[in-house]
Amino acid sequence: MLFQIIVSGLVIGSIYGLIALGYSLIYKSSGLMSFVQGDMLTFGAFLGYTFYGVMGIPFILSFAMVILLMFALGFAIEKGVIHRLVAKNVLPIYTVLATIAISYIIQNGSMVLFGSDIKYFPPVTSIKGIRVLSLNVQTEAALCIAASVVFMILFNFFMNRTPLGTAMRAATMDPMAARACGIDVGLTTGLSWAIASGIAGFAGMLIGPVYGVYTTLGSVIGTKGFSSAVVGGYGNMLGAIVGGVLLGLTETFLSAYVSSAHKDIIAYFILLLFLFVKPTGIFNERAIAD
Amino acid sequence: MKTTTFKKQYILTGLFLLVFPFAADKVFNWNYGVLLANFCILYIIAVSGLDILFGYSGQISMGHAAFFCIGAYGSVLLHQHTGLPVILTICTGAVLATLVGALLAYPASKLVFHFLSLATIAFGQVVYQLVAQSPGNITGNFTGKFTDTISLFGWKLNSYTKYYFFSIVCLGIFLFIKINLVNSRVGRAFIAIRENSHAANGMGINVRKYKVIAFATSAFYTAFAGGLYAHLVRFISPDTFTQKQSVMFLTMLLFGGSASVGGTITGVFTVQFLNEILRSAERYQLLIYGILLLTVILAFPGGLYGLVRQILKKKGGKSDAAG
Repeated sequence: MLFQIIVSGLVIGSIYGLIALGYSLIYKSSGLMSFVQGDMLTFGAFLGYTFYGVMGIPFILSFAMVILLMFALGFAIEKGVIHRLVAKNVLPIYTVLATIAISYIIQNGSMVLFGSDIKYFPPVTSIKGIRVLSLNVQTEAALCIAASVVFMILFNFFMNRTPLGTAMRAATMDPMAARACGIDVGLTTGLSWAIASGIAGFAGMLIGPVYGVYTTLGSVIGTKGFSSAVVGGYGNMLGAIVGGVLLGLTETFLSAYVSSAHKDIIAYFILLLFLFVKPTGIFNERAIAD
Repeated sequence: MKTTTFKKQYILTGLFLLVFPFAADKVFNWNYGVLLANFCILYIIAVSGLDILFGYSGQISMGHAAFFCIGAYGSVLLHQHTGLPVILTICTGAVLATLVGALLAYPASKLVFHFLSLATIAFGQVVYQLVAQSPGNITGNFTGKFTDTISLFGWKLNSYTKYYFFSIVCLGIFLFIKINLVNSRVGRAFIAIRENSHAANGMGINVRKYKVIAFATSAFYTAFAGGLYAHLVRFISPDTFTQKQSVMFLTMLLFGGSASVGGTITGVFTVQFLNEILRSAERYQLLIYGILLLTVILAFPGGLYGLVRQILKKKGGKSDAAG
């Protein structure tokens, strides 16, 4: 029982963490807040279902296709909408509202495209489960946790060790200075939205086989991803992951032992608590204070 | 010269407002239109509240449906359990929301823009969840609650037309208070905070105090509108008070243009009109709504009212130059 709770807490926690990572990345690179992440996850999961479940393309290949497509979509949204608004120098609320509008479009659009019933992925592998310490774990759940860990390591490597990652970090710290050094800031900002969207597609591909795919799958996960990002320290990459896992575990434990009816309220309550009491999060990221 | 035309405009508007429900109901047999007018009035009150907070003080709230909700449920439950007259329970509900708003604003006043929007979203969700899954089922959860209409000294407002005249009086009072408020010392403090909170602080304005006042006033307006809504429809359920409703308030405000009475009214009418048109395309409603919203944001971020005023100004400027 306890082991099962920990596993499902880790599964949903790693998804929250991935979504939170996307938020942090966008915030770090453009100082903006995006509301599309959650619905990007839904869209990615639907695309994955179409490629893998309907068209029968091998899982790894559909995985790669989803990430690429989502990557392109994220880039297009930044260049097509966000960048234009920022260039017009409008109030920040308009960019926030624009992302809300986009999330409506994606949410309703995927309902129109894919239907409103829950879609189930065919099993990803023929192996029914993996035995860990003489306990059975669903293969998809294990895959989800493992893939998240691998992704985080790779992502960390990309941001800190590669020239492009360094350029992105530089553009975040001081766009003007970065531009003076010859970094294409427009490109790096677009890339960060693209990566965030790619991550959301990645997370959708992981969560789809575990939960099934439906149109509102991402909207709840999206808001919880926010909570995770704030808990860890908004804008802090490591904090996003830690916050996600913490939130996932807390939520699963509380709903298992206290009450499952108020499961969603916990995440929002934690979010408010952190915003009011410790707005800099666990990792003391100084983004929120005035 | 100018004042007389203005007066004429006012008289014409007043006459129109007076005649509208009778004409719609009796002549055109369009009772639904009177209901829609009622909705518009209460939305104008709600959005005016949001305008005080966002348009004048520059504080964002993406959880105003929560105040709408507290006003509605507060009034309905109080009326049900104590049997007090509805008009009193609406006011009590609004006062309750004001207190909650102040309580929320006190810690929230430290947060900058994006995080304030997050905090208000979370607040909206907490209130929604509490209403949808209330402890001891006091709110009736998803089944909702039925309630009575308003009765003034034994005179029941049992038709949309009667309700219309009651709410339009309320609207008049609220708009009068709002205009006076924003042109007062407090209103100037709000605007100073919106423009630059550090500078406002330097001029001796107690920023936190005024932010709390803005939040509380705004909550009162929206919650009163919530009470009006509950007793107009005579049925409430959690579905009305979701995140979508908060976004709709904000859309109404931004569509019309913030920090003006005219903008608020324009925004409410436009969005209500769109909602009515889109009703038949329910399946695609959110999609169309999203596309329209995006187009408006990209095309004229000043709001419709701002756009119209800009065009009028240009025209006026030209004719002046010609003359």
